[in-house]
Amino acid sequence: MREPVVVSGAILSVAGLSAGYVGEDVIYDIGFEVDEGEAVTIIGSNGAGKSTLFRAIMSMLTPSAGTVRFDGSDITGLATHRIARLGLAYVPAERHLFPQMSVTENLLLGAFPDRPDPAIQDSVFDVFPRLAERKTQDAGTLSGGEQQMLAVGRALMSKPSLLLLDEPTTGLAPLLAAEAYKALARLRDDGLTLVVAEQQVPLALELASRGYVIDHGRFGLSGPSEELAGNPEVQRAYLGVA
Amino acid sequence: MKSALLDGIVLGLQYGLLGVGLTLIYGLTGVLNLAHGQIAVLGAVVVSLLMGTGLPAVPAILAGLAVSGAVLLALDLSVMRVVYRQEGETRILLGLLLMLGVGFMIDGFLAWRYPIEQLGLRIGGDPISILGVRMSTGSLLASAITIVTGLVLVAFFRLTSLGRGVRSVIQDEMGARLCGVNPAFVRTFVFGLSGVLAGLVAVTRSMTGPIGANNTISFTVLALIVAVVGGLGSVSGAFLAGVLLGVVDRLSSFYIGTYITTIILLVCAALTIVAKPSGLLGRPST
Ligand SMILES: Nc1ncnc2c1ncn2[C@@H]1O[C@H](COP(=O)(O)OP(=O)(O)OP(=O)(O)O)[C@@H](O)[C@H]1O
Ligand SMILES: [Mg+2]
Repeated sequence: MREPVVVSGAILSVAGLSAGYVGEDVIYDIGFEVDEGEAVTIIGSNGAGKSTLFRAIMSMLTPSAGTVRFDGSDITGLATHRIARLGLAYVPAERHLFPQMSVTENLLLGAFPDRPDPAIQDSVFDVFPRLAERKTQDAGTLSGGEQQMLAVGRALMSKPSLLLLDEPTTGLAPLLAAEAYKALARLRDDGLTLVVAEQQVPLALELASRGYVIDHGRFGLSGPSEELAGNPEVQRAYLGVA
Repeated sequence: MKSALLDGIVLGLQYGLLGVGLTLIYGLTGVLNLAHGQIAVLGAVVVSLLMGTGLPAVPAILAGLAVSGAVLLALDLSVMRVVYRQEGETRILLGLLLMLGVGFMIDGFLAWRYPIEQLGLRIGGDPISILGVRMSTGSLLASAITIVTGLVLVAFFRLTSLGRGVRSVIQDEMGARLCGVNPAFVRTFVFGLSGVLAGLVAVTRSMTGPIGANNTISFTVLALIVAVVGGLGSVSGAFLAGVLLGVVDRLSSFYIGTYITTIILLVCAALTIVAKPSGLLGRPST
């Protein structure tokens, strides 16, 4: 039986996705699309289900319902390493670096199983000069900010066509968080497609052209970033406006 | 004394290689391979049987190593799948029991079919003097093979994409998946590699003395001691521990007596665990 071919320009399309832990869903009926070249944000507070959504997309969890299509093919339930090899890169909030390997080795693994492209590595060092200074240092001994840079750099080494980022500002002081977002804006301007889950809503809305609000596992409001930033509900819940 | 020291290093390098195979599997899967020595000796027995049929040494050795590798590889692809589905303590205990069972089966098989089959590779040529110590050609060849294998392993783990992939799964399996590494493939590969390395140690050891069914348990125990002292999961740690323990082994049997060496090695392992639970080069568990 062949699936009907859905004609869509979206690089990622998620439909009816529900997933959770030990048989109990914590995200329900999530649907959204991302077009090539876009930066999209998913905003929500602690426990809203942002990480769970990303884990379900990456098959780190088995969804109980719904489909995930990437670059025209159905990747629902495909093994995580296969999804990664297709060019869908995910930087989890926990980063999952290789602590006893050097910065360089972590980057080289980003390109696995291909031969690392020196030009890509140079461009990573260009965006994150701090990493170039710490090439031989073990990832486990880097500061939080540097680890975040390395996690993003490692993901870039695979030349992804879509990058999912889960709360890239986790554990960073405000100044470093702003700096991290400057680097992301640069990647966006270079044409990388991005989906960023975030609680730091002002930063995220500035980076993305549009966003979705996730609350208690369900998508609610969505729209262009300026519209969300001006929405009284968003202002009250996420922007600290009384 | 000098010759005991040099002997210890030669022996220790081989202990190191024995420990590497055990430590890799443990680091990757949490399975403590209590059949490591049995698998090593099985390879040597195959070499001996094949040479008995008139096959030249080199192809016989390659076939023996292939058998050792194939046994572990087949285990990974079959019963180990059940173990991998478990987590934490259950996985460690189940893996341990399973490999203990495999060890008993190989021991039983050898005792039943080949109780007196022994591999003793005699390497011709006069002893050569090194640093003023006369060393037999057998022990020199054994060291040369072990050192080259060790260097190839280090280069493999540092410089190749698959080698880095293996280390990545040991350090962070989810991170490895996100980089496109397939942990199941890495496991199968490492089981096969570990078996081949075990077989190789039995073969090189047979260059200085016969190896047969009665060596299985002491090989397993040595591999375990080396891996624990070096830090479970650490390849360089295993080599370092192997050399140290090899020297301790030779010195203690030189000054005290052979009967006591295993006890002394066990004491070394116990002291290491007390002083540094993660072993010489192991990472502290968090
Ligand atoms: N491993 C897990 N096992 C069981 N429940 C989990 C697990 N991880 C998350 N949950 C639950 O799923 C719900 C959604 O969590 P999730 O981590 O997806 O939220 P989040 O939006 O990423 O939050 P945060 O901003 O704090 O990271 C929460 O109720 C959480 O307690
Ligand atoms: Mg989260």
